Amino acid sequence: MSWTTSLFLRLSPLILPYLVLFCGGVLLTVCQSVGVLTPLPHAGGALDAYAGILVDRSFFASFAFSLGVAAVSALFAVTAGTILAYRVWQLPGKLSTAALVYKIPLILPHIAVAFVILVFWGQSGILASAAHSVGLIQSMNEFPNFLYSGWGIGMVLAYTLKGTPFAMILAMALLTRFDTRQIQTASMLGASGLRIFYSIVLPRLAPAMHTGFIILFLYNFGAFDIPFILSESRPGMLSIHVYNLYFKHDLARRPEAMAILTIMFGFAVLFIIVYSRVVRRLESGVRKL
Amino acid sequence: MKPIITLLVLVILFVLPVIVLLLTGLAPGWRFPDVWPDTFSLAGIAYLIRNHEQILTSLGSSFVFSLLTVLTTLCMCLFPAAAFARIEFKGKSMLEGLLLTPALVPPMTFAMGLHFLFIKFSLAESMAGVIIVLAMFSYPYMFRALVAGFQTMGEDYRICARNLGAGSLAIMLRVELPLLIPAVIAGGSVVFLVAFSEYFLVFLIGGGSVASFTGTLFPLLSSSNRSLAAILTLIFLFLPIVLFLIMDTALVRLYRKKGMS
Repeated sequence: MSWTTSLFLRLSPLILPYLVLFCGGVLLTVCQSVGVLTPLPHAGGALDAYAGILVDRSFFASFAFSLGVAAVSALFAVTAGTILAYRVWQLPGKLSTAALVYKIPLILPHIAVAFVILVFWGQSGILASAAHSVGLIQSMNEFPNFLYSGWGIGMVLAYTLKGTPFAMILAMALLTRFDTRQIQTASMLGASGLRIFYSIVLPRLAPAMHTGFIILFLYNFGAFDIPFILSESRPGMLSIHVYNLYFKHDLARRPEAMAILTIMFGFAVLFIIVYSRVVRRLESGVRKL
Repeated sequence: MKPIITLLVLVILFVLPVIVLLLTGLAPGWRFPDVWPDTFSLAGIAYLIRNHEQILTSLGSSFVFSLLTVLTTLCMCLFPAAAFARIEFKGKSMLEGLLLTPALVPPMTFAMGLHFLFIKFSLAESMAGVIIVLAMFSYPYMFRALVAGFQTMGEDYRICARNLGAGSLAIMLRVELPLLIPAVIAGGSVVFLVAFSEYFLVFLIGGGSVASFTGTLFPLLSSSNRSLAAILTLIFLFLPIVLFLIMDTALVRLYRKKGMS
């Protein structure tokens, strides 16, 4: 048995499911988007679904909206997570056990986090009650309508709450291997706390931040659970749009749903490639200590 | 002063929601503009007890398919992770990148295509189908953990066992797997949580036939009775915690018994 065959055999438990189920699944999505293997025989041309989408302004609005919600919440989560991870890492030993509470949203499913946001930020929610009790508002209608403002604030809040502990875990993994003497040296040489964070800690945490941003951004971009509870109708997230086309409209519109999924898949792959290239280029320009 | 602020922020962000959920669960009549509930009642818990069969079924079903997903990902990743940690070959980093993509791209994009295939092979609306889709989406976490585990373990144990005459399957199962338990638990917990808390994929592939805890929770979240949803959410939170604690203690005991700690 040649070396390549033996290597392939050893990798096969992973590669075969990957090819058949993942690549196969994507392929079937692409096929159905051009009208092949659809539940109903496809009458029009192969690219009809794409042509329909690309002239539809509401598709672009949804796409931009999904991008915005995903990017803003991923950015918030990575920023908050990194700062909090650094602060938790600095806590004295006894308190750092108490800080483990940050793992709570990691355990809660996305739909439960969305529910928490609903309970807190709704017009009859906890924050509205608190605002009323301190006299900021007189009735619940005066409380700003965060969840249905058309800006996706509810989704951003939910994704940020869910994503922050995730970004923290990634940063913590790097911090545990961090050499504290570098910080001690810097502070002995007179660097301020802020300066230490920016010049010493942040560059070390950058890899975790990039990974966290890619994962959270793409997840938020294409996930369904949180938008299904918190989304507003227009412009909606793309995943909701696909869901409606897939389940609520007649089968003839299946190619449209699949075409949107194909575009989302293409965007995700493109984003991963471009982002990692840019990061690599940026990092090669930085002097390594 | 600084540590107190840090802890305060953590408490407001992550503990306060749990407290509010607890209050919501115990006070069904808690409404605007009360900052603190007027009356507490056990109505939510009584409802829970009345419907315990449905809730326990969905909880059990979620538990079973999540654990089976963990096992599936372990079977998929064990040998390939060993190869990845030890063998250098051309295109390895490229292949690694490709193998990690299922966790990054929106799972809808391949799951909806697969749905078609699953209907043809009557895997749709079956637990096997749900497990396959969840495993395809979550195996990268297991894979990463196992590759790291193999790298920290090194090759000495394997070489030693081989010199003593063990076959490769025996080495993997009796020498390496026990040493890999921490890595398996690290990867497995993430896979378990991903599977346990997923709503959409289970709904898409499982249809109505595969009961799940998220599926039971979902309709309650948008209903007017928030107290029930809050109680179920809390169960959701405490069950994995209890599970992890049990596993942690069991592991420490096992290691102590074998004199490894």
